[in-house]
Amino acid sequence: MSPRASAPATRLGLDGATVVLVEPSHDVPLVSIVVSLRNGAAAEPPEKAGLARIAMRMLRRGCEGLGSEQVDFMIDALGAEMSVDTSTSTVAIHCQVIARSVAAFVDLLGRMLESPTFADAELERLKRESIAEIVEARDNDRVVAQKAMQRTLFEGHPYGRSAGGTTQTVAAITRDDVVAFYHRHVVRANLVLGFAGDVTPEAARALALRLVSGLSAGEPTADATAEPTMGTGRRLVLVDKPERTQTQMLIGTLGTSPHDDDHVPLVVANAIFGGTFTSRLMKEIRSKRGWSYGASSRASIDRHRQAWVLWTFPAAQDAAPCLKLSIELIDRWVSSGVSAAEVKFIVRYLVRSHAFDVDTAAKRLHQSLDVELLGLPEDYFSSWVSRVRAVTPAAASAAVRNRIHAMDLLAVVVGTASQVLEPLRALSGLAEVTVQPFDAE
Amino acid sequence: MARLATQGAAEARRAWADRAARGDVGEGGRISYEGSHSFGADSVHRWRLGNGLTILVLVDVTAPVAAYHTWFNVGSRHERPGKTGLAHLFEHLMFGETENLRAGVFDRKLEENGAETNAATWVDWTYYHDLLPADRVKLAVKLEAERMNHLVLREAQVASEREVVANERRYRVEDDVEGLANELLYKTAFERHPYRWPTIGWMADIQGFTPDDCAGFYRTYYAPNNAVVVAVGSVRERDLVLAIRDAYGSIPSQPLPVEDIEPEPPQTQERRVELRKPAASERLLLAFKGPALGDADHAPLTVLSEVLFGGRASRLYRSLVVDRELATDVRGWVSTFRDPGLFECWITARSRHTGSEILPLLDEAFGRARVEAISPDELARAKSRLELGALQQLETAAGKAEQIGFFETVLGDPGYAFRRVEAFRRTTVGDLRWVARRYLTDTSRTVLRVIPESGSAPAGVAQ
Repeated sequence: MSPRASAPATRLGLDGATVVLVEPSHDVPLVSIVVSLRNGAAAEPPEKAGLARIAMRMLRRGCEGLGSEQVDFMIDALGAEMSVDTSTSTVAIHCQVIARSVAAFVDLLGRMLESPTFADAELERLKRESIAEIVEARDNDRVVAQKAMQRTLFEGHPYGRSAGGTTQTVAAITRDDVVAFYHRHVVRANLVLGFAGDVTPEAARALALRLVSGLSAGEPTADATAEPTMGTGRRLVLVDKPERTQTQMLIGTLGTSPHDDDHVPLVVANAIFGGTFTSRLMKEIRSKRGWSYGASSRASIDRHRQAWVLWTFPAAQDAAPCLKLSIELIDRWVSSGVSAAEVKFIVRYLVRSHAFDVDTAAKRLHQSLDVELLGLPEDYFSSWVSRVRAVTPAAASAAVRNRIHAMDLLAVVVGTASQVLEPLRALSGLAEVTVQPFDAE
Repeated sequence: MARLATQGAAEARRAWADRAARGDVGEGGRISYEGSHSFGADSVHRWRLGNGLTILVLVDVTAPVAAYHTWFNVGSRHERPGKTGLAHLFEHLMFGETENLRAGVFDRKLEENGAETNAATWVDWTYYHDLLPADRVKLAVKLEAERMNHLVLREAQVASEREVVANERRYRVEDDVEGLANELLYKTAFERHPYRWPTIGWMADIQGFTPDDCAGFYRTYYAPNNAVVVAVGSVRERDLVLAIRDAYGSIPSQPLPVEDIEPEPPQTQERRVELRKPAASERLLLAFKGPALGDADHAPLTVLSEVLFGGRASRLYRSLVVDRELATDVRGWVSTFRDPGLFECWITARSRHTGSEILPLLDEAFGRARVEAISPDELARAKSRLELGALQQLETAAGKAEQIGFFETVLGDPGYAFRRVEAFRRTTVGDLRWVARRYLTDTSRTVLRVIPESGSAPAGVAQ
């Protein structure tokens, strides 16, 4: 393995406490730039959900001396791209630019950061655009299922809110909200900057200084998010959508925290259960029965305990037996754990495939950014391989038993109620079955 | 297109190939070195075995990984009505049992060694990709050779994969309004050429495949002389070529069928079609008949597509999404097919707006492109975007292998990704007006509207 594979990115500190992370690689003449905040959508009022995303998207809608159209044209002409990614815990502007234009692009981005105009007309236009995107996303059944899972599993918690907001909350956002959010959070002390690719640490420092030169020092935003809690019992939410030939099925519960002692054992156990093409889920659902094109499970990480979610998408007529089988597989996983042979196999997979977690500068940068922004243990990635190697079958089985509450599962199925509701309702063990329209928010 | 590497290096490779050919390797295992192709600042080396297998190697030590691709010159264009989707179904079956590996062992061996593997099928090609830690690349050589020669096709496996593919079709097409619209667009725009049917196949065809269909397809197309192996990564070139020779050399070449494709006749009249489905908003699709990927017009038309549809500063994004707020998204794409394909234009209308409002504005934009010269700034913007996109394809070993395999299979030139960027750079304002006049004609286009409804019309496109 390359010596650089496990090494964290070069870390620079600027005046005003901005952290700069640099991961040079001169293989391709591209530079990736990330401007991230130490807070995300959790910092916005629930009735203004979507505010963080709107505020950051407003950056390219005009700054002093440049209108929205000019900004868009200049970004393209420089051979650059720019997008905003918002989650509960962080907001990030992701950019990539052809190396020969990096100085000009950073100058443009610096102007956008230091003097956004937040013009009323542009804000209203962006709100209408965002609402149209929310409506259009209802055509994507997987997205509909994910949103239903998020808002039901984490009801009342910031993790339960969509970072993009709802049609109502986006409509309620005012220019004052945007300006206040921006000036509170886009300050040097709350920024983490990342550079990867065809750039040196020295050049990155100069570029970083240009980016923050017009920003006030400010204070980092404290994380006030509480630990999420889980509802009890086995519940089913059917999201009713007409004319579906298939269902989108998610089964979720609380999962892991990167600070848990048994975090890595749970990740290992999850990989056995649903993390690879030959996992238990794929074998049982796709290979043996042909019920779904895919079946997987995932234990996400964030600042706080996130969800563990199983995903599959059987045909409507297979939805009930597939849900029944999936729950049986979870029960067996929790009660019987994983075998020594399974652990041996998956540890080899995870250790050897680690090369693909770090094979580009951008991937290595994002690992360092995650450590910084999500408050992960400093050695979270650098010690990953050795921690995976140390997982025993007993530890992996105990992690599943302790963390996955098989009796507190939430199943979300997007499908046509007239076809699938009765067979699903007939399944034993469901304490609660509710039906929602597909455009519920 | 192949250019010789420095004379000495090429001669050394040839001499090595001659030495490697001595001994008991059989005719199929004879190694030939056929020269190199420039790939940016690097070189792709072309080798061939006596059985016709082409091997393309790019040594790339930027990361300790290796991408190992096998590209077969077979796609849905090689199917016939009633048997659509066979190339894609077969791609699934290739992950099954072989004479020497029980079902599931192929994937498990790769996973155990940290590898990722998958495959893709489209109109002109099928490819299998393995991404491995570099020191494990010979495992891919062995496994890929095994399934090229020893696949087992039984009713149980075919039946199971039929169901999986039917579910994939439900996911990608039946329950996806854009998948359904795309299928209908090609079915309407093409009347004779096999591009008219979907690569995933019609549902009735998928459910009717037999082991005999699959065995015939395997014998016909999965031969070394119909395949290209592409290896990119931190590998030792000659060791790898020898390993490939040892694994594949005994696989016999096959007589390949002469391609029997009906050229699409010129379209002389606009075609219009509507699709009514439950959807949040209306979609408008326009498709003009476009050039083949190898045509000199392909690059200029791609640049024109970028001027019109690429990014927030493009003409139609500004007009339809920003200024008039009639749409949420616009997209343009010139199909990268071996034979002439389509210039697709996709518009997603906003709620309460319709394709009827949008179509005249598209017509106006196309009319301007035919008459007025695009400004040099707009041309430069489009070229910069395309250059960025091309560079992004080269960030990983897998990305490079895909570029090499794709352009070798479709055009016979593994370094064409760079020549394509050069073609973008050479494109002039005059070229854009030329392609606008040549291709953006009403009589050669198909117009499809997806109209939202909440009724209960049956899903799927009638065959």
